[in-house]
Amino acid sequence: MSTIVLETSSASIRRDFWRGVWRVMKRKPSRMVGVVILLAFAFMGIFGPLFYPEHLPRDVSNTYGPMTWAHPFGTDGQGKDVFAQVVTGSRYVLLSALVTAVITVVLGAAIGLFSGFKRGRWDTVLMRLTDMKLTIPGLPLLLVLTTVWQFGSAVEMGLVLGLLGWGSVARAVRAQTLSLRERGFIEAARGLGLSTTHIVGKELLPSMAPYIAMNMLIAVTGAVYAQVGLFFLGVLPYEADNWGVMLNLAVFGGGAMTTPSALPYLLAPLLAILLLTLGIVLVVDAMDEIFNPRLREE
Amino acid sequence: MSKQAPGVRIDGLTVTYNNLPAVRQVSLELAAGTITGIVGESGSGKSTLALSLLNAVQPPGRIAGGSVEIDGLGDVVALRGEDLRKARGAKIGYVFQAAQNSLNPLKTVGKQLLDLGRSHGVDDLRGLVRDAKELLGRMGLDGNRVLDSHQHELSGGMRQRVGIMLALVLNAHLVVLDEPTTALDMITQANILKIIREVHEERGLTTMVITHDIGVVAEVADRLAVMYGGRLVEQGPTREVLASPQHPYTRGLIRAIPRLTGDIDEARALPGRPPTLATVPAEGCVFRERCPLRMEVCDTVDPETQSIGGRLVACHAVKVKEHA
Amino acid sequence: MITGENITKTFKQRGNVLDKREVRALRGVDFSIPRGGAASFIGESGCGKTTLGRILAGLESYDGGEITIDGVPMSGLKPKARQPYFRRIQMIHQDPYSALNPTRTIQQTLFAPLQLRAKQTGRDAKWIEERAAEVLSLVGLDPGTVLGRYPHQLSGGMRQRVVIARALTVDPEMLVADEATSMIDVSLRLGILALLKDLRERLNVSVLFITHDVATARYIGDDGDLYVIYRGQVVEQGKVDTVIADPVHPYTQALLSAIPVLHGLEVPGEEPVVPTSGLDESKEDTGCLFARRCPFATEACTAAPPPLQLTEGVPQRHACIHPRRRSVVAREV
Repeated sequence: MSTIVLETSSASIRRDFWRGVWRVMKRKPSRMVGVVILLAFAFMGIFGPLFYPEHLPRDVSNTYGPMTWAHPFGTDGQGKDVFAQVVTGSRYVLLSALVTAVITVVLGAAIGLFSGFKRGRWDTVLMRLTDMKLTIPGLPLLLVLTTVWQFGSAVEMGLVLGLLGWGSVARAVRAQTLSLRERGFIEAARGLGLSTTHIVGKELLPSMAPYIAMNMLIAVTGAVYAQVGLFFLGVLPYEADNWGVMLNLAVFGGGAMTTPSALPYLLAPLLAILLLTLGIVLVVDAMDEIFNPRLREE
Repeated sequence: MSKQAPGVRIDGLTVTYNNLPAVRQVSLELAAGTITGIVGESGSGKSTLALSLLNAVQPPGRIAGGSVEIDGLGDVVALRGEDLRKARGAKIGYVFQAAQNSLNPLKTVGKQLLDLGRSHGVDDLRGLVRDAKELLGRMGLDGNRVLDSHQHELSGGMRQRVGIMLALVLNAHLVVLDEPTTALDMITQANILKIIREVHEERGLTTMVITHDIGVVAEVADRLAVMYGGRLVEQGPTREVLASPQHPYTRGLIRAIPRLTGDIDEARALPGRPPTLATVPAEGCVFRERCPLRMEVCDTVDPETQSIGGRLVACHAVKVKEHA
Repeated sequence: MITGENITKTFKQRGNVLDKREVRALRGVDFSIPRGGAASFIGESGCGKTTLGRILAGLESYDGGEITIDGVPMSGLKPKARQPYFRRIQMIHQDPYSALNPTRTIQQTLFAPLQLRAKQTGRDAKWIEERAAEVLSLVGLDPGTVLGRYPHQLSGGMRQRVVIARALTVDPEMLVADEATSMIDVSLRLGILALLKDLRERLNVSVLFITHDVATARYIGDDGDLYVIYRGQVVEQGKVDTVIADPVHPYTQALLSAIPVLHGLEVPGEEPVVPTSGLDESKEDTGCLFARRCPFATEACTAAPPPLQLTEGVPQRHACIHPRRRSVVAREV
């Protein structure tokens, strides 16, 4: 008997998936705007610093200069171009935010999925751990930590924030898992004797993908605020011109709250942060539709 | 203030979703004081038809043509805003399919009942509660307990009965029940159908029951109308339609029902499957893909509805028979 | 061959601390289903029929009694050792849409259990493809059309067939169909029922059919047994046609009386039985559980629980001390 199996290799399934993603994005113009924004930031983060020399030229004669074509957001206290600083500073911010997001989501989702699916003793132990971690207040801990360890580099920052932030993702993913677990196709998979790895990885995970993707994007936003906040508070020495440092210098160094000349120096990084958040929010809207084959198609 | 049971005349009603017809050129008369049963499978358009009586079709659906005239209200399709809202509650009682969705999860049933009464200007709220308890009691529920409960404290069957009670309690004289007994057991279903008939008689209502279960219609309705793919294919007195169905779909449907008695080999499923909004053919007979009497004309010409001895049937094959 | 003796199951409801209610879902049920045979459990929702089906499919534990699968009593085995036995019994859920993973194609869904099998028995990818095509043909679907699709692209009837095909990938001995046709369009139900009957004949698979729609039970085979279940107990049990044509327990008669009559095509039975309302839930049941709703109950009925037994002249087992034939079923005109 000849086999009549369709040409549904994994490659073609993946191709159809991305085609579907494109379709979903096109449906609402706002989503495309979000994608463009995120792509712009990614470009900025990866290639931006290449456009500028390692040490930005200072121009002591033009401190807190006005906004001109040469300096779209004016200059800082040392005459360095503000816009250039936003671009060069973006790499740090985005890299560490990405690290945070990945750690938070991978750790949180893994623990949440495992806990929610297995239930019983594993669940109790893991959730106790999560609860303990959740009850420790984040910001004070970070502040205390900075006194013993100056985790200034992008990756270190990402690591710290990530290890601190997986608790709520774990809880949320666990709740979703508990409810999905009772669905017919999960029960059927158990009844057929499929392994836990398969069920969690191939059956549960794809169904939870929108949820997890959303959490990841939101974690990026949270991470950006957290690190910017830390640098703004001045508790960490800066290793690069990142946005939090700029905010700190603008407010405390340049008197941006009192003199108008330093205002662009304050606004530029703020705008960058807001724009990034906007891009993420606009894209998150599409998450549900992307991962559901039925909605992807319509 | 006594109200007469209203007659309803649906004429050439067409309802579309994204320009695809869910209901096409349906003409149906509900004589005052009768119970009419609309039978159809998924994609037949029966629920959309029911919603049209309330002019409650949600976008992207819209009523694209025809009229729904209700005695005392005029053409419902033309009503808007406040008039429409008043009409819906006080004059037309509606029980949604899956009644659990129409209850507010944050309030007790009793509170919602009072809200309903107040928003429709009912003066005697005590009387309303009394009526509600009585109706619930007849349906086998403890009225006091149910009124004090929240939606999640009640089982699916109980919520369905609450929905029926809410539709009947405002003394509307036109009642539309969409799948009133789907989640219920046979014994409870039989009880509910009995109550629907009784309340219909007692209060002189005009009732419309929508269901996929011909048995429900057989037990409760005076007239039976069969819908398929958005069209009304056959209608007539219930007993007569069941005894001698004219349209091939009606025949096939009756034959496809698992029955308690009779030879099991005689029963047969209909080949193919019911059309969806996207697969309904734009021209020609909607049933032709599954029809044993299919002819060439069925592919291109939409059969007209003809009157054959008190029955209304839309089928080319039937026409041919008549002229043979 | 699968038998159960005196199966009990109690659900403990964790309400608030003061309201620890127990629900006795099964109060001692006996059944036996031969290889390739058919059995139907009928009753209202909450009667325990679904619970029993889930216990057999290995999705739920049971508190008491003995289940014997192919001559091996499960009580003698550790929980892990029982799994391969219960795997021979596969569940067909009521809702075909939620029984299939919406994010995976039919091919992915069918290949998963087959890949597991292939690894265990040392078969190759070609075998997997052949088996997938085979089970799809067994359920009347064309592999070429169906494999590349997602569940939402198939009709309800087709989805249910895919669910059955998936169950067949592990060569089960028994299929438990829990309200397997309730969510399928009426005109298509018979197709699924005929399929189940066909699978019995072709593959010698037994079918346990759980439903509240008694009429459907006839169509999986007239050689099957019908078990009428009320509040966790079997109240009547015998051959399908016998129980439907000549029921003797008032509850069975009430169930059959409640089935809608297609007036014009049928006439109602002569003595329909309607249960009394029995709203008073505070009293404990001392004897027959149905007594408080039974229109024919006597003092003796509440004295002691009636045993499930055969009595003179009645070919089916029944749990009633006043069994009486009543003509309740509708007849063709």
